[in-house]
Amino acid sequence: MTASRKVFMLEAKNFVLGRTVLVGAVALLLFAAYGFFYGNRLIGQQQATIDEVPAVQQAHLKGIVEHGEKATVGSTAYYPFFYTVNPPTPWARFAIGQRDVNPYTLKVKMLAIEGQLYDTELTNPLTLLVGNLDASFVFIFLFPLLIIALMYNALSEEQENGVWKIVRTTTGSIGQTIAGKLAIRYLAILLITLVIFFLSVIALQLPLTAPTFQLLLVLLAYVMFWLMVATLVVALGRNSAFNATTLVCIWIFLAILFPGIANIAVNNAVPIPEAAETAVRQREGYHEKWDLPKGPTMEKFYAVYPQYRKYPIPDNKYSPGWYYAMQFSGDLESAQSAEMLFGKLGRRQSLSEMIGAFNPVITAQQALNRIANTDLSSQVRYLESVKAHHRQVREYFYPFIFENVPTPSIDWAGYPDYKPVAYEAGPLAGSVVTIGIWGILLALCALFLFKINFIQINDIQNA
Amino acid sequence: MHFKFIRTIARQEWSSVFRNKTTLVLFLVLLAVSLLAVFTGWQYVGKFNAQQAAASSEVHEQWMSQPNRHPHRVAHYGYLVFREKSPLSFFDFGLDSYVGNSVFLEAHRQNTVNMSEAGFSNGMLRFGELSMAMVLQLLVPLFIIFIGFQTVAGLKHNGVLKILLCQRASYPDVLAGKTVGLTAVTWALFLPLLVLGLIAGVASTPGAAVTDLVLRIVLIVVLYALYFLIITLMVVVMSAMSSSDKNALMLLVLVWMLFFVVLPKSAQTLGSSLFEAPGKIAFERAIEAEVSKEGDSHDPNDPHFANLKARTLKKYDVDSIQLLPINYGALVMQEGENITAAIFNKHFDQLIGTYQSQNAVSAIFGFADPFLAIRNISMNLAGTDFDSFTAFQKQTELYRFEKTKRLNEIHLTQVSFANNATQRVNAKNFQDMPDFVFRPVSVGRNLAASAASVIALVLWVVAGFAVLHFVSSKRKYQL
Repeated sequence: MTASRKVFMLEAKNFVLGRTVLVGAVALLLFAAYGFFYGNRLIGQQQATIDEVPAVQQAHLKGIVEHGEKATVGSTAYYPFFYTVNPPTPWARFAIGQRDVNPYTLKVKMLAIEGQLYDTELTNPLTLLVGNLDASFVFIFLFPLLIIALMYNALSEEQENGVWKIVRTTTGSIGQTIAGKLAIRYLAILLITLVIFFLSVIALQLPLTAPTFQLLLVLLAYVMFWLMVATLVVALGRNSAFNATTLVCIWIFLAILFPGIANIAVNNAVPIPEAAETAVRQREGYHEKWDLPKGPTMEKFYAVYPQYRKYPIPDNKYSPGWYYAMQFSGDLESAQSAEMLFGKLGRRQSLSEMIGAFNPVITAQQALNRIANTDLSSQVRYLESVKAHHRQVREYFYPFIFENVPTPSIDWAGYPDYKPVAYEAGPLAGSVVTIGIWGILLALCALFLFKINFIQINDIQNA
Repeated sequence: MHFKFIRTIARQEWSSVFRNKTTLVLFLVLLAVSLLAVFTGWQYVGKFNAQQAAASSEVHEQWMSQPNRHPHRVAHYGYLVFREKSPLSFFDFGLDSYVGNSVFLEAHRQNTVNMSEAGFSNGMLRFGELSMAMVLQLLVPLFIIFIGFQTVAGLKHNGVLKILLCQRASYPDVLAGKTVGLTAVTWALFLPLLVLGLIAGVASTPGAAVTDLVLRIVLIVVLYALYFLIITLMVVVMSAMSSSDKNALMLLVLVWMLFFVVLPKSAQTLGSSLFEAPGKIAFERAIEAEVSKEGDSHDPNDPHFANLKARTLKKYDVDSIQLLPINYGALVMQEGENITAAIFNKHFDQLIGTYQSQNAVSAIFGFADPFLAIRNISMNLAGTDFDSFTAFQKQTELYRFEKTKRLNEIHLTQVSFANNATQRVNAKNFQDMPDFVFRPVSVGRNLAASAASVIALVLWVVAGFAVLHFVSSKRKYQL
């Protein structure tokens, strides 16, 4: 065994037997275990609710039809709700993302859709504010702290207790010694990352398909980034207290302050008055029709559904065909602000992605949520699918409404099934490359600083 | 205890903290962040409230300019209420971003309050929002740690403590002096900032209740002062217990993580595991089941409504509803409304009760984590708390019920049963109805709701001094 190899092994032994590694790893494992439990519980509850929906829908429709026995389809059609669900992807257990905030079941009537689309799930707002302690939180938020704890005194401790001077005078290559000390820490942290990720695959039953490996890829890039941040600070060659303070400050800046400021900036830059406007317009657009002549309302409806022109609409009294045409024109009149609302959401998303490019913590979090399909875009896709379902339900019932057939004579469950949104693999390369570039830049700076501060030292006496 | 020594040591601490360049740099950073937070928060709340007020007045105008309509159509036309943020919400965002901002009020249905900020944002919001309260709750403690970690441990390290103790100063005097000095620094740096920020923000909000606001501001300032004192006590104690300043710093940073990241999340997730709240579907189904048991207004054979019919016919001494002087349809509808509203309110109160139990776990954790205590109090006093939102929900539901009831009364007395399909009622009847005005939770009730947290803070101060006293009496911590 060569001398340098021996030194390396000794260092490895010292490091691994040190209390920090054990305490840090165990603490993180405990949090991860809790995160697994939490993710499984929350998503499990959502899944259980979703599983109940078909039975609820069936019983609901049955009750409505029984009540409407003597009525026509046109008047019974006012009552039923049609349920839609947004089932979690297998990776939602890993990164809950916005799934706790956004509704994952929505029920809509055949009435104007815009007023029904934004119903919220019942949740405790304080729980939402505090946020989820899921596996992604452990990796994004807590893992950097472990890295800080294991890295901050990599070199400074030995400088402080005087060992460093002996090392300098006895070792052949100081660069190699530094590389060895860092490599041991890198390896240990990488190992912990892999172990916890492996455990999460088992505990959360993540399927061994592409998205799981994408999660791992993002996490490895992210861990690498933080290793480089810590390495850079170590390379400054200051004392332990300075290193720890600086690293904690960087962590607070990247994980708390920066997103806090960025969030306000995004909300200020893209306000959403359309949210209120859509509701106001839809309500007015529909209700004013009651007091207007029926002709123009029907024309708007016929423009989209010309096949119903053949049914007469009495001019002086109520008819179901007219009622649903009024509902439809409520949606037509709010369509523009509804579209602008979705457009604004898209702008918020792209703006925050742009800002995120300056902060790998945000990039990584968004990438995980995207992989898990638990981000804002996934929710918008869900809302769009609800709109599509609303349309196919309406279009299924329109003929019966215009024909004015009796309620029991049609198949109320015969409307096309709701199709949940399929998994969408978002673009990922950009995020990984962004985090990677940050890592490489930091690594280069660190290398440069090591050269200045540790290797080419002119004042050897006080090194 | 020698007050002269305490004062000397405090003064010495004060000047040594200010001599340190790090203090200045950190303070400038925090000052910049606080100003940014106050300004953006104030700007955001102003913009948001203007947006909500505009929508509100649009809806009100539409309501007032309604043509003559059938009252039940008006009941379905309904009303939209837009929630405005409280005058102090720029200081502490609290739950504001996670609760809905508008609610549609109509007959027969209790809609959810929709369109929350969180629903329209991506994950970035979940890292936390930058408000002045966040700076004071999270970052100022870190500031105190950074300027104070070496306060006693440093003296041990360089041997000055021994010299001090050999003179006439006792260890309790040293620790008390250090605490006073550091507290004075923190108070001097941050309390004026807090007062100015609050007053500047409030002054630009016209039409707020002045005495209420002044009371809230005074309470906020006093309680944050206590909070800073608690953190300072903790820093001095841990610094005194550590053998070196490096250890003190590590220990304090660890405690910070525990208090600000680990415990808050654990407490809330524990709360929601202990007290399981129903999801929306379960909640609605429970109400439906109970309503259909009580009486189903759509079912002609329902016993409850058959009974109502018999009673009404007897009261007016006629034998068919067509002969009644009132509109029987409206009577049935109001009866249905009474039943569903009562059952909904019962279930809603249960749900709120479950949420309150969940939140109580966090409040109890305030005895183990002062951050949780101040977070709770601060939200309460800023009017961005759970109770304020619940009050909004309850008041809008009450307004919905009253409005529907009045419309049903118009329907009952002014629309004849025979002409029900075509008759309309003069729009003046609807214009007379009052607009919705939110009555904020009073400061007394807010304070009562955070009583546990206030007690926790006071206990923390007492415990802090007790531990300080204990540590100062131990010889091993003097070395």
